[in-house]
Amino acid sequence: MTKIIPNNRPENYFKKNILSKILDQLPSFVDLIRSIRETIITNIVLIGQIPSPTFKEKRRINFYMERLAEFQVDECTTDGYQNPIGIIRGTSETKPPIFVVAHLDTIFEKDIDHNFTIKENLIIGPGVTDNSVSVGVLLSLPEIIRRLNIRFQSNIVLAGVIQSIGRGNLRGIRHLLKMWPTKIRGAICVEGTKLGKLNYYSDGMTRCEIECFIKATDIWDNKFRPNAILIINDVINQILKLRLPQSPRTKITIGKISGGLKHGTTAYNAKLGFEIHSDSDKMVKSVFNEIKDIVDGISHEFRVELKLKTISNVNASRLNFNHPLVKSASAIIKKLDLKPESEPSETSESDLSIFLSHKIPAVTLGITRGENLNQKNEKAEIDPIFKGIAQVIGVMMAIDNGVCDED
Amino acid sequence: MKINWLEKNTFHYSKFKNIKELVDVKEEKRLTISLCLPTLNEEKTIAKEIIIMKSELMTRYPLLDEIIVVDSDSTDKTREIAREYGADVYKASDILPDLEKFKGKGENLWKALYITKGDIIVYLDADIKNIHHRFAYALIGPLIIHDNIKYCKAFYDRPIAISKNKIRPTGGGRVTELMIRPLFSLYFPELTQIIQPLSGEYAGFREIFEKISFPIGYGVETSMILDIYEKWGIDAIAQVDLEKRVHRNQDTKALGKMSFTILKTFCNRIEKLGIIDSREKPGDYMIQYNLVKNRYQPDIYKVEGFERPPIIEIPEYRKKFHPLKNGNEITESVDL
Repeated sequence: MTKIIPNNRPENYFKKNILSKILDQLPSFVDLIRSIRETIITNIVLIGQIPSPTFKEKRRINFYMERLAEFQVDECTTDGYQNPIGIIRGTSETKPPIFVVAHLDTIFEKDIDHNFTIKENLIIGPGVTDNSVSVGVLLSLPEIIRRLNIRFQSNIVLAGVIQSIGRGNLRGIRHLLKMWPTKIRGAICVEGTKLGKLNYYSDGMTRCEIECFIKATDIWDNKFRPNAILIINDVINQILKLRLPQSPRTKITIGKISGGLKHGTTAYNAKLGFEIHSDSDKMVKSVFNEIKDIVDGISHEFRVELKLKTISNVNASRLNFNHPLVKSASAIIKKLDLKPESEPSETSESDLSIFLSHKIPAVTLGITRGENLNQKNEKAEIDPIFKGIAQVIGVMMAIDNGVCDED
Repeated sequence: MKINWLEKNTFHYSKFKNIKELVDVKEEKRLTISLCLPTLNEEKTIAKEIIIMKSELMTRYPLLDEIIVVDSDSTDKTREIAREYGADVYKASDILPDLEKFKGKGENLWKALYITKGDIIVYLDADIKNIHHRFAYALIGPLIIHDNIKYCKAFYDRPIAISKNKIRPTGGGRVTELMIRPLFSLYFPELTQIIQPLSGEYAGFREIFEKISFPIGYGVETSMILDIYEKWGIDAIAQVDLEKRVHRNQDTKALGKMSFTILKTFCNRIEKLGIIDSREKPGDYMIQYNLVKNRYQPDIYKVEGFERPPIIEIPEYRKKFHPLKNGNEITESVDL
């Protein structure tokens, strides 16, 4: 596991009076941000109405760039992997940049109606909380920063990252950080929900698929041909018998199953999708190996083709709770009358883990409250968004004032 | 027949994408621009239209001077939501309250002329699901850049929503293709070049709108084109390609009623122009049939075809927009 440990003198990183100055400004920030709510909502809606399934984000990339250029960021470009980036130049030529990132891809296919509806306090539409709200906030930040009259010392890098979710396996953010030429001062990963979220650690995770396929020409005649669904069922039963430790905290989530052709026909194929999560990368690996043994054993005994495939993985990584970035983010959230809540990202993939594994101090913040996550009628509340943005600005200011800096 | 109109007066919205440039021209010409959204129970779409227009064409670029909602007594939260997001909201029945009251889109558009302040008025339907600010700036562009153009109409590729979350890529425009274009071909061949004469999105100068009459219902788009064509010629009209507009699909019966109203307006116009001479006044009833318990039952829909006169003929309007000058009331604005 990657751990980023501050030195023994947190006061060196962050002077209390600077934090209290930031905290004092937050309530007025909320009101000022609310005063351009139409622009913020427009950005959320216009970006969210462009379909952007993983690997097909091109139209959203173009719009993101076009929009940031319209909002007059100092630089607007894509990296070699086509992650679109806007840069607001800071006053210092030596301070490393601060990253604010949100993923551009969604789980919704192109032919789904992506037109959003706005009600009194709600924006409704596929992908609005995951992740249009966040991308819309990134697009609005140049204008918000101008209105708040804030100048940062560091360059602010507004990165919309592609190929994050599912089979994307965080390729966009991995590439962006791998190729970034300078040190990075700190980062904020922005997620649509939930306001108050303060993630500073990420589970180790391996996402796998087990596929069972039984050929018609196999040695079995039709009468005694094994049933792929029952084979998968056997695999599940054996996985459930595994003893998982409480420390390091470890779990297996069985999330997807499919198979068969029709009611009266023996299934010749079946597929199981699951994830192994743990605080410890070693434990993830060990559980994976146990499952591999199960798969090999059943494959051998039933003489069927049973394949275990790894789809994606993320290393366990964390900041400590007493890291000045976490402490100041927590104070900022509390100042806005919210309760900081920490949990490893419920959406398995997390840009945060990639920052932390590069030893870049980072946190994930949620912007608003929502309902029906990952359904076509996802809902995002409008009013909390302004506090959500104020906390992002507060944390950006904290990083800019040295909260992540080493001596 | 001017067959080159289509090429000369047809634009793509992207030509007017530079909104700052439009604002500069608008300011140089000292024009004011009003956006009017006629509504009837549009709580699902109204907020998005107002928010996007306000953000992009008022807050970021001052192209619009006001956003007005004229509502036909909606029973849902249309007025409340529109007000919440900063539009000036009026009930149509409260505007010029001494006049006889009618209900319909045309009525709202006509009354909007009294409460808006702009030299240019942009009318957009309030039910556009994929609203984008191009719907307004692209209609304004030709009007402020080309001095000869006084009225600008939208056309688009019209995907229609076929179920809750699925889109069929093309379709719509049945009333146009089965009725309007054949009628135009018969009587006004030049007007067949207008790709979507029934589109609900258009903009024009006040000095044009105030001099034409407005049918109170569906016929308003047809009558507007015919009247502007007759008075100012086809060169005063332009059309802009807005690419996509997602709208609610209507069933054949509803389209039948719409067609009846439009046809009635059309017949009135061509009779007024002396193109046809009908011996009998056309009927006021559209009759459709429903099969109920194995028997056909008529469904009768009355369309009286009321029209508001040119608003410049209304004294209250003249008083507000053409006040007395040297003791004489100005009844005519500058000739086009």
